[in-house]
Amino acid sequence: MTGADRAELTALAGDYALGLMSETEAALFETLMHRDPALAAEVAMLNDRLLPLDLSAPPAALPEGFAERVRARLRAAETGRDPAPGAWAGTEAATQGAANLSWAPWRRRAGLAAALALGVVLGLLGAVQRSVPQPLVVAVLLDDQGQPRAVIEDYGNDTAQIRFVSDVEVPPGTSIEAWTLPSQELGPVSLGVLEAARPSLLRGPDLPRPADAQLYEITLEPLGGSPTGRPTGPIIAKGLAAAQGL
Amino acid sequence: MDDQDRNRDRVLAGALADCAAGRSGGIDRLLAVEGAQMRGVARRMLGRDDLADEAVQDAMVLIWRKAAQQAGGAGSARGWIYAVLRNRCLTILRDGARLASLPPDDLTRLQEARQDLIPDEGWRLLAGPGRLGDCLQALDDHSRRAILMAHVAGFSHGEISARQGVPLGTTKSWIRRGLASLKECLS
Repeated sequence: MTGADRAELTALAGDYALGLMSETEAALFETLMHRDPALAAEVAMLNDRLLPLDLSAPPAALPEGFAERVRARLRAAETGRDPAPGAWAGTEAATQGAANLSWAPWRRRAGLAAALALGVVLGLLGAVQRSVPQPLVVAVLLDDQGQPRAVIEDYGNDTAQIRFVSDVEVPPGTSIEAWTLPSQELGPVSLGVLEAARPSLLRGPDLPRPADAQLYEITLEPLGGSPTGRPTGPIIAKGLAAAQGL
Repeated sequence: MDDQDRNRDRVLAGALADCAAGRSGGIDRLLAVEGAQMRGVARRMLGRDDLADEAVQDAMVLIWRKAAQQAGGAGSARGWIYAVLRNRCLTILRDGARLASLPPDDLTRLQEARQDLIPDEGWRLLAGPGRLGDCLQALDDHSRRAILMAHVAGFSHGEISARQGVPLGTTKSWIRRGLASLKECLS
């Protein structure tokens, strides 16, 4: 990474700490921070330096029973009665997004283009630690509202990594399955099945080297994965990969 | 950091460790130590008690979920907690649908009150007694005001540039330049 890239990252850390990023940018920046401890340290340093600005607000005693209300919300969230705001499952959008088995045509070109652009930025800014293996492509998967849900980094040796950048509700009896479309001839190929939206290593079958603008997506499938070997459930998020020129 | 701050951060780090381990006592201790200040920060930015309470509750849920991730991270527990809270406040401020549910008069009042949070004179009270105030004083007026509008009042780049009557790019460079000087002054 060049000095100019580093300077740009430092400036972005400032924007993030001051709350000047959009929610999407902030979610992506948080994925960068997970990969780059120096970036996380820069943000933490700014948070600490600017903390006096928070401490100057006049304190306001919490209303009676506030802690109990927080604990009730945590319990509700754990039993699945209170999906996090913006959680995808069970929303109207989710049922509209039923998987399109033909994988084409793509009606939301604009959304996919945005995901591609984010992947480019993420790759550029994230190419920090040259000592660790670098992915060949990075795909930012957006839901149908254009919000980033997950990032897939494909290393090309039949290994990919998935991380989630916002909550994805996985109802009991279902799994998340990750897919890619190496070519129209091959059709969608499963990269792996996840029981929860946790960062995971995906070990897919032997596939052609991932290409720029290759499609990646995650769908909600019956527990254990699609029974047909093709996506059958609603699309949670999808995006086009951005090749990483390293 | 003086002794009192160090002690406080030890207590907060312990409370975060409890949250990370799934012990809800961590929530009680965090709220006992920081709850009133957190509500104060949220109320200053959001202008309404109900929105402030919503922001603090949301922040506590996030802190509970992310505490394990934060453990071992750089920076103080306290700095992180307020960063999470401010992010939640911003989410509420930028949620057009959420704000549209407020009576129009309230919304107008809320926006005006945010504007008044950053006075031309007397802004120093916002920085407290430490060095941050001196270093902010050393910045040019435009940069200082833009940084305070973002951090204290939660204004976006676009809102700041509109209020300062300059192009977006100018606001961005004022903020970046100001923050770089501020870091140098504080280091």
